Amino acid sequence: MDAVFDALSHQARRKILDIVQTMPGCSVADVVKYFDDISRIAVMKHVDVLVAAELLISSKIGRRRELFFNAVPIQMIYDRWTTEYSRFWASRALDLKYMIEQQNQKTQKADP
Amino acid sequence: MTETRQLVHRVIIRATIQQVWDALTTQGQVLPHFFGSVMHTTGLKPGAQLRMRTPNGKYTGVVGEILECNPPYRFSHTFRFTNLNDPPCKVTYELKEVEGGVEFTLISDAVPCGTKTEGQMAQGGNFITSVLKSVVETGRPSFGYRLLLLMIRIFPSPAACKSENWPLDKPV
Repeated sequence: MDAVFDALSHQARRKILDIVQTMPGCSVADVVKYFDDISRIAVMKHVDVLVAAELLISSKIGRRRELFFNAVPIQMIYDRWTTEYSRFWASRALDLKYMIEQQNQKTQKADP
Repeated sequence: MTETRQLVHRVIIRATIQQVWDALTTQGQVLPHFFGSVMHTTGLKPGAQLRMRTPNGKYTGVVGEILECNPPYRFSHTFRFTNLNDPPCKVTYELKEVEGGVEFTLISDAVPCGTKTEGQMAQGGNFITSVLKSVVETGRPSFGYRLLLLMIRIFPSPAACKSENWPLDKPV
């Protein structure tokens, strides 16, 4: 589990997970396009950290390397600290947060 | 043509490869990792029909045809939810011996984008992988999932899922 938390502790790596999750099967080159502040080599290193933590699965198809997001390590973190009861109330609390924040955003837009 | 995508779920299970294979392919017994369903087939071989039914046999949640069966390494079949009108996708289970256990990978292929099937395959993949791991390692699902499994049993199933609509001798 240390590897998973280490991997998640970097903002660029979390962004990589977002990208791969929306584009399953994308290549490292596809991911690089979303970064203009860090080099291709740096992105590749971040990808390697995510692969080592099993948050990304890299499968070789011919010469191409395809990336897939693997949610299971995150599911295991979730399973460890949530029960059916806390899951219910935590998600209610979050729904409330999202609803209020969305309303605030709308009011801000209407009244700049 | 509908756009499709591939989803992958992977976990290391501390057990022998045979234990994982048996847990995955057992027939006539409730499978906690498959939402408490019982697997029915016309044989574990390519071309055979596969149905995931409730323990009493009355309802069928998933139908498919076996594409590949290479014990204890690879098992693959087509997959369609009986309550949804989405095109079938394909699931492949891959087992590989690694240090400390078995690397279990669930690959869902040709999942139609933006459909209910896609949401269920993403969520269901987490469920199958996590529960299979705890069942093989500890003999039963973890506490939270045991409650969830009880709740699934109480849920009513729509008429489209009645098993008489999905006989084994009628290929899907």
